[in-house]
Amino acid sequence: MDIMGADLVKAFACLGAGISMGLGAIGPGVGEGFAAGKACEAIGRNPQEAGLLTRTMLVGQAVSESTGIYSLVIALLLLFVV
Amino acid sequence: MEELGRIHQLIIPFFGHDLTFNLEVIIMTWIVISILLLFGFLASSKKGVIPGPLQVVGELLVAQLFALTEDALGEELGKKYAPLICALFMFLVLSNWIGIVPMMHEPTKDLNTPLSLGLLGFFISHYLGIKTKGIKAYLKAYVDPFFFMMPLNVIGEVAKVVSISFRLFGNIMGGSIIILVISYLVYNLILPPFLNAFFGVFVGAIQAFVFTMLTLVYIAVQVK
Repeated sequence: MDIMGADLVKAFACLGAGISMGLGAIGPGVGEGFAAGKACEAIGRNPQEAGLLTRTMLVGQAVSESTGIYSLVIALLLLFVV
Repeated sequence: MEELGRIHQLIIPFFGHDLTFNLEVIIMTWIVISILLLFGFLASSKKGVIPGPLQVVGELLVAQLFALTEDALGEELGKKYAPLICALFMFLVLSNWIGIVPMMHEPTKDLNTPLSLGLLGFFISHYLGIKTKGIKAYLKAYVDPFFFMMPLNVIGEVAKVVSISFRLFGNIMGGSIIILVISYLVYNLILPPFLNAFFGVFVGAIQAFVFTMLTLVYIAVQVK
């Protein structure tokens, strides 16, 4: 079986999807962990504000997660469209 | 696994162009809208001092979102734009949650829905900015530090629409694909309810709230 150009395109698209998802997951992982750690510190210092702090932390994490979501969208585009 | 990434489309030729309709998305959007209309009708039909269960939910949503909007926009504008924010939040929450029901798909799983909602927020915020500040002060915000920063400011405004819509789309789409793939891997045993609870209910509610809050913040930035 010969390896044609289309096979190479598909193979590199899959490779690119993996690399994009792996590298793109680093930033949100570090950022969300940092936000959760800071929220833990704040709750330890000020336990009666735990509800407000948790809510703010979740919203901030959902926003900082978006770079990871962009790489997920790129990976899905590479897998299903290319 | 065959249905992964496939969309039912209705393609109508129209004077040399092809009009494409994503049927599922349109039908699901109308189902969500009719459920919301029904909810609004039932919650407000039997008003009383002692509220029924639906009226309690409605009052809770309206009071919280009105307070949120008035915090961000001030007394007068807040009253005027709180219904928009309220409707946006309720529509998005129901759209993200409807994927839990079998055979139903989230309308936000298609990029067209979040993108149109993001464009809605974009146009409303800029219209309001021009209306409250006047055209001169509005244009002056683009050349803010000095004149050469104008391209960056324009790109920043356009990037807001892209980021807000792709965030919602990516979360819901990625969640539904993860649910599909892992349910297939474990032969639909044990895990799917927990996955649906996390990616459907939790992530859906948080992303709907984030979308609403960011639209509100974009409007507030233009007004001030």
